[in-house]
Amino acid sequence: MTATAQAPAPVREAIVANGVARSFGSVRAVQDATLTVPAGSVTALIGPNGCGKTTLMLMLSGLLRPDTGTITVAGHNPSTDAAAVRAAIGWMPDQLGSWDNLTCLQTLTLMGEAYRIPRATARERGLDLLERVHLIEFANRPARVLSRGQKQRLSLARALVHDPQVLLLDEPANGLDPRSRIELRTLVREFAAEGRAVLVSSHVLAELDEMVDDAIFMSQGRTLGDDAAAMVADAKTRYLVHALDPAALQAALTGADVPFEAAGEGVIMRFVDEQRAAEALTWLVQQGVRIHRFGPAGSALEQTYMAMNEERR
Amino acid sequence: MTTPTTTHTPPPPEASASAPTAVTPPPQSGNPWRPTFHGVSLMTRIELRRRRPTTKGYVFYGILFGLVIAICVAAAVFAPAQLSSTNFEIVLIMVLGVGMLIAPSLSATSINGDSSEGVLAPLQMSHLTAGDIAVGKLLASWTVSVIALVAVSPFLIYTFVSSGWTVLEMLTTVGAILLVVMAFTAVGLAWSSIAARAVASVALAHLTTGFFLIGTLIVFGVAGLLVTEESSQRDHYIDWNALSPEAESALDNAYMTGDYTNLNIDDYSCLESEWAYTVTHTERVSWIVLMNPAVMIIETAPIVDPETWEEDGRAAPGAFAMLHSALSEARMGPDNDINQYQAYDECAELATMIDNNVASDEDLEAQWEAQNSAWEQRQQELANLERAPWIGLGVSGALLVGSMWIVIRRLRVPYKTLRTGTRVA
Ligand SMILES: Nc1ncnc2c1ncn2[C@@H]1O[C@H](COP(=O)(O)OP(=O)(O)O)[C@@H](O)[C@H]1O
Ligand SMILES: [Mg+2]
Repeated sequence: MTATAQAPAPVREAIVANGVARSFGSVRAVQDATLTVPAGSVTALIGPNGCGKTTLMLMLSGLLRPDTGTITVAGHNPSTDAAAVRAAIGWMPDQLGSWDNLTCLQTLTLMGEAYRIPRATARERGLDLLERVHLIEFANRPARVLSRGQKQRLSLARALVHDPQVLLLDEPANGLDPRSRIELRTLVREFAAEGRAVLVSSHVLAELDEMVDDAIFMSQGRTLGDDAAAMVADAKTRYLVHALDPAALQAALTGADVPFEAAGEGVIMRFVDEQRAAEALTWLVQQGVRIHRFGPAGSALEQTYMAMNEERR
Repeated sequence: MTTPTTTHTPPPPEASASAPTAVTPPPQSGNPWRPTFHGVSLMTRIELRRRRPTTKGYVFYGILFGLVIAICVAAAVFAPAQLSSTNFEIVLIMVLGVGMLIAPSLSATSINGDSSEGVLAPLQMSHLTAGDIAVGKLLASWTVSVIALVAVSPFLIYTFVSSGWTVLEMLTTVGAILLVVMAFTAVGLAWSSIAARAVASVALAHLTTGFFLIGTLIVFGVAGLLVTEESSQRDHYIDWNALSPEAESALDNAYMTGDYTNLNIDDYSCLESEWAYTVTHTERVSWIVLMNPAVMIIETAPIVDPETWEEDGRAAPGAFAMLHSALSEARMGPDNDINQYQAYDECAELATMIDNNVASDEDLEAQWEAQNSAWEQRQQELANLERAPWIGLGVSGALLVGSMWIVIRRLRVPYKTLRTGTRVA
């Protein structure tokens, strides 16, 4: 095993999928999915239940054959070179499964061995990973005693045993406590900082905001390309402003002919960038409006998600 | 908290965010499916560890084992010190039966069960090939069944000692049993890779076992009807109803005294009776019964000659020897041709007797003797007919290979089709 063997040539696009579709009998789970996940970035996959996120991830990971469309993962094609694709991917399924009679450490060691890592190294790495996901005190306890969130963390550790280039996380935040979610975010960011790619599907949209570089929206088996991206960009320009005297704020804005939308007690304003936002705040303060809250109008992803407003399946 | 401190020295060269221990899994390409030594042994280890019995389980096995040994000791104390192979043969069939019951039960939930538990797909994502997973699961389930059979091994050894079999013969038959158990383990695996639900696959696995154990016998019986030849035969009898009272009493008298000379053949009218004479050509369908795994095991047993068994150092022909003869009879088919039947003619017989050709006692004796020696020769021939386990062995081999082929095909990813009504994960 040479050092060059496991350091593949840097691939700019870790995942490229084009027009991917897959049906199960009459159910068209994924109809047309197109996406690109660059190396060194975190991309979110967002969509309502049953829109085909899991199915898409299965196809990306080389477990499920697409009916049509092309996929390239880490430079390999899963339909001709599935083993290379699987080797490059760390996959955390949405279904929690563990070998009930084995301990957490045994689980990770055996999984490492399944990737042909020597047993001693696999064990060492298993310990590191258990430490990393804060399960070290469960190292020698059977996996069946773990709680849901703990199983989720074990599943994350399992996805990392072979130090993959690409991480596919299917609703990883499910069942995690707030602290674990923040740690997950840190881990994912560190992972991306090393030049690896992460695709993460989640429902906890507010959290994704801080975690992801890019988002792909999915609805009824289709990825919403530029429209959704434009909506996210638009949502990011929206600021929510609250003043002690809302009437004074609205009067000042109307007087200066600044467009705004009333939103409850406050108003929503749009700024193309942070520079403009800062200038506007200064101006409002100079106008004598007593501002007590000034910031982005909620999660951009959540706003986009709600704005898509398409019926769930 | 985010970066774990490395306590061990020196720090690894390629520490990553996820963990400081650098790992270098070998690169993979293509989509290999063949079993490899490393993969199969790892998969077997994983499966055996998952199924390792609890302390209670060990205690249970221990008690069972102790009980079996106690029964053997008791039997050794009270049983006559005489060679008898039947006990050993019963134990062999018991071992086969238990093996064929538990092996498919263990394997028939192995794949769909793992899939619904969510532990199959992560393994498929690893460097383990479909062949590794399939063969590893086969070996693990088979090993567990074999370990369960070890519990009855004291019976086997005890009864073997007085069976008159050689060690090699015992090993051959036990080997054949283990092959059958492995084949039906594979059948269970195949069903679990096809059926979505565990209930269905267990039922189907047991149905398959039942078909080969009992179904083959039924099919053999039904097929026998298809190869039965029929020819109508005419027998002739004296028509007793039409006899005059004098003629009747004269005939009765002649039967008593053996003196037929006073009878007149014309007093006796003849009746013709027609009936269907059938010959079943079992030799054409005996292959069906030879597919039966239990029959195959019987056919691997040593041949016991019904005349020379004592000089051969064997026990008297036991259950297997009798069954072997019965099977040989089926394999050889009927020894008389459909056209060889000699019609019975009571009237003609009476006519020869009236002509004072009464058979002497010596003649009858010789006739009887000839028939008897023909029968004995036939029995000798049947008992010594060459053993025929080959069809059964072929069936087991085909089941094993065919099932594993199905399993490997069904385990290969990327999936084209899924078990209906299941998800990948
Ligand atoms: N194996 C399958 N057989 C039949 N239908 C399926 C299967 N897997 C998924 N589906 C259907 O496809 C759609 C997408 O499912 P999925 O990808 O799991 O959605 P998501 O992960 O976005 O919630 C759903 O309507 C689901 O019922
Ligand atoms: Mg899902």
